[in-house]
Amino acid sequence: MASASASSALVRVAAAPSWNKKQVVPRFSGLKAVSLGQQRFAFPSFQSSQCTSGALKVVCAAKPETLSKVCDIVKSQLALSDDKPLTPESKFSDLGADSLDTVEIVMALEEEFKISVEEENAGTITTVQEAADLIERLAVKS
Amino acid sequence: MASPLRQVGTGANSQSLEEARKRVFHFFREACRSIPQIMETYNLHEVITTSQLRSVVAAQFRKQAHVTNPKVIDMLIIKGDEELRNCLDHSKQRHHILGQYVIAQGGLIPSNVGAVSSGGSDFLQKFYNSNNF
Repeated sequence: MASASASSALVRVAAAPSWNKKQVVPRFSGLKAVSLGQQRFAFPSFQSSQCTSGALKVVCAAKPETLSKVCDIVKSQLALSDDKPLTPESKFSDLGADSLDTVEIVMALEEEFKISVEEENAGTITTVQEAADLIERLAVKS
Repeated sequence: MASPLRQVGTGANSQSLEEARKRVFHFFREACRSIPQIMETYNLHEVITTSQLRSVVAAQFRKQAHVTNPKVIDMLIIKGDEELRNCLDHSKQRHHILGQYVIAQGGLIPSNVGAVSSGGSDFLQKFYNSNNF
């Protein structure tokens, strides 16, 4: 199907920058997930043209309650005090987590959101925002 | 009656620290995924939560965090895998799990595990802690 291949090409194009530019583009990757989800119900060509326009006025695709749940889990896991600010862009290593802590956080998220994260996906999560985006993507798939 | 999740195996022969590291994380994830089944098997729902048990497991891993020899790491993973297999197959019993994992760290003393009343004197508590007090 040409439309499916076009959309998958879009995803591949978006996926490359999303793993390289971690600060700028998590929202971009999230937007891709939302548009793919809508594609099942709308005309694919219309959705793809909307994406290529580059007008990212939409807020982060990760829902705020997902993000807040992720923040709570990270906070309790790393035993952070309340005065330390926990922004979505803060890296786990900056918050004092070693690699085992990161894996443990991913497992806690797996249990909380009833998803299953692959090993290579888990290795690429370094910030709270990335975790929330991954959860959104897996929740959309399932 | 091994759980279908078990895939760690015993053919481990890590050539580098990085490979051993990957095996460690893979085993940690297997252990975490087995925790719900262990809670179910030994009826630990009133006693401890899943996330507390997960942090106990992580503490066990952290105790060996200083090891750098990949073959030693492989050996530790094999031993840990045997322990996990025993827990999953119900080869242990509830009091083993409670003693080794629920109460082990000292910080987790759930009130309904049944602590004996001391009658107002902390002599025994100090005695259990050390000889000199």
